[in-house]
Amino acid sequence: MSSQSTPAAPVLTAEGLTLGYGADPVVRDLDLTVAQGEFTVIVGPNGCGKSTLLKALGRVNKPESGRVLLHGRDVRSQRPKAVARQLALLPQSPLAPEGITVRALAARGRFPHHTMLRQWSPEDETAIAAALELTGLTALADVQVGSLSGGQRQRAWVAMVLAQDSATLLLDEPTTYLDIAHQYDLLELFADLHRRGRTVVAVLHDLAQAARFATRLVMMDGGAVVADGTPEEVVTAERVGSVFGLACDVVPDPRTGTPLVVPHERAVPATIAEAKR
Amino acid sequence: MGRHIALPVHPRSLVVGALLLVLLLAAAAATLSLGRLGVPLTQLPAVLSGRGEATHLFALERLRGPRLTVAVGTGVALGLAGALFQSVTRNPLGSPDVIGLNAGAGAGAALAALMLPGVVPVPLGALAGAVLAIAVVAAATGTGLRNPGRLIVAGIGVAAMAQAFTQFVVSVMARDQAGILSSYLNGSLGARSWDHAATIWLTLLLSVPFVLALAGPITVNEMGDELADSLGARASASRTAAVALSVVLSAAAVSVAGPIAFVSLTAPQIARRLSAATGPNLVLSGLTGALLLVVADLAVQHSPIGDGLPVGVFTLAIGGVYLGYLLIREWRKGKL
Repeated sequence: MSSQSTPAAPVLTAEGLTLGYGADPVVRDLDLTVAQGEFTVIVGPNGCGKSTLLKALGRVNKPESGRVLLHGRDVRSQRPKAVARQLALLPQSPLAPEGITVRALAARGRFPHHTMLRQWSPEDETAIAAALELTGLTALADVQVGSLSGGQRQRAWVAMVLAQDSATLLLDEPTTYLDIAHQYDLLELFADLHRRGRTVVAVLHDLAQAARFATRLVMMDGGAVVADGTPEEVVTAERVGSVFGLACDVVPDPRTGTPLVVPHERAVPATIAEAKR
Repeated sequence: MGRHIALPVHPRSLVVGALLLVLLLAAAAATLSLGRLGVPLTQLPAVLSGRGEATHLFALERLRGPRLTVAVGTGVALGLAGALFQSVTRNPLGSPDVIGLNAGAGAGAALAALMLPGVVPVPLGALAGAVLAIAVVAAATGTGLRNPGRLIVAGIGVAAMAQAFTQFVVSVMARDQAGILSSYLNGSLGARSWDHAATIWLTLLLSVPFVLALAGPITVNEMGDELADSLGARASASRTAAVALSVVLSAAAVSVAGPIAFVSLTAPQIARRLSAATGPNLVLSGLTGALLLVVADLAVQHSPIGDGLPVGVFTLAIGGVYLGYLLIREWRKGKL
């Protein structure tokens, strides 16, 4: 999965991207390239601008300056549906319409493939069936999303973006609010999608998960990229200390050999200590 | 229709649509044939094709015909306006009649018709009133049209002010005429003309293509702006278009029939329960609105109180109960 020897064609390129308004933008003058077939994970402390960056890559946020290129063309100069056929974004907290079934939710991912003249087609059925199959929801297709467990519900949303049938997936903290087993289920699903040829860009919080699944890791801090490379290159004790303010050892994961952050014990922060008193 | 409209139209929606059409035809036939001046069913085909007795032709051309045509058109407009607005606000209570839009249009219509007759056309007055009402509501919530709870509270205030203004206009200009006051406050289908019918049907003719084109984008919008934008639905633009169309349809309905309450609120909800389909159910909401209004008007025309009871008073009484139920339900679910 190394891209050093034969650099794959860039799918997404951010050029001089500044996001957010005024004197203190969320992301400042950022450059980033996402190559075809990579599983890129973006990590960083709260408020570092990683979600904002992901939304800009997905054409949801309008840059203050700079631009995002999709296969060499500015996403904002293309028709929204044309971009959506190549690029799917799963945001952090989408709203499930009341009473909607899993199948109907997945069907909504077909929106970019419809025009005034061309509405429902057999390809839609095929794409929805495939999305439900990949997410293991075929048996639950007619169940209401509201009655699913947290893990199943998140898979239903993944099915929706898969039905969109785009070559690139952008995922904004897709494992938040799930218990640890469901988190890994979902990450394995993304890894599987990646193996099947999709380009995946995910924002994750957990460094161990990021290091285990990413083929390439991007670490952000204060609206800028501070490290970009393989998980082994990016996750070092020194960098975790400077970016997250967490003293730690980095050891190889006993199962995968990927870097694993083991925090040092530290004093209770003053504010928490006071609140306890 | 069918497979060429919006997302997967399931067969049930088509069956429900056909059923609503049949019921609407039956209610329309009843409207034309019941009562003292009614045209007997057996003679209806002849009279509709321009032959038949003079009294029947008069009843059809001057009384029942325009009234029925206005009722159907107004019902469709109210149903569509409600479906658009409820979809955009993602809440059944975010309906033009709940948030003061219809009352604002009513105040504008009263002003144009009674104080500025011949100066400002009534539909334009209604449109101005509706736009003003929605602007005040959006400004008062501080969060635009996003928070349903605030929308309703602001809407109650705006509706009260608009109704007070309507009462003021009517009591200055049409003192001692309870019927006029009531028709401007609550809406009525009594004494409608073909001009009214032309206003509402022309508005429908011009706006329905846009409404149908918006069905896809606003369906996707229900899942949140970010997802809608990433699917290419232009969340903000399609929401603005839906609100504008809803305002135009509401204003047109109010300008021909007064601020008839709760058709916009209930029609999309009934359509949705019948079809068991998510999304705005636009076509079915329009049909349900028409059926509700024609049946309500049929009921007031043949109620013991007599022909004078405005249909708006009737829908207010029935719909008010449903509004109360919805308020409690949404509040319990923590959506307000």
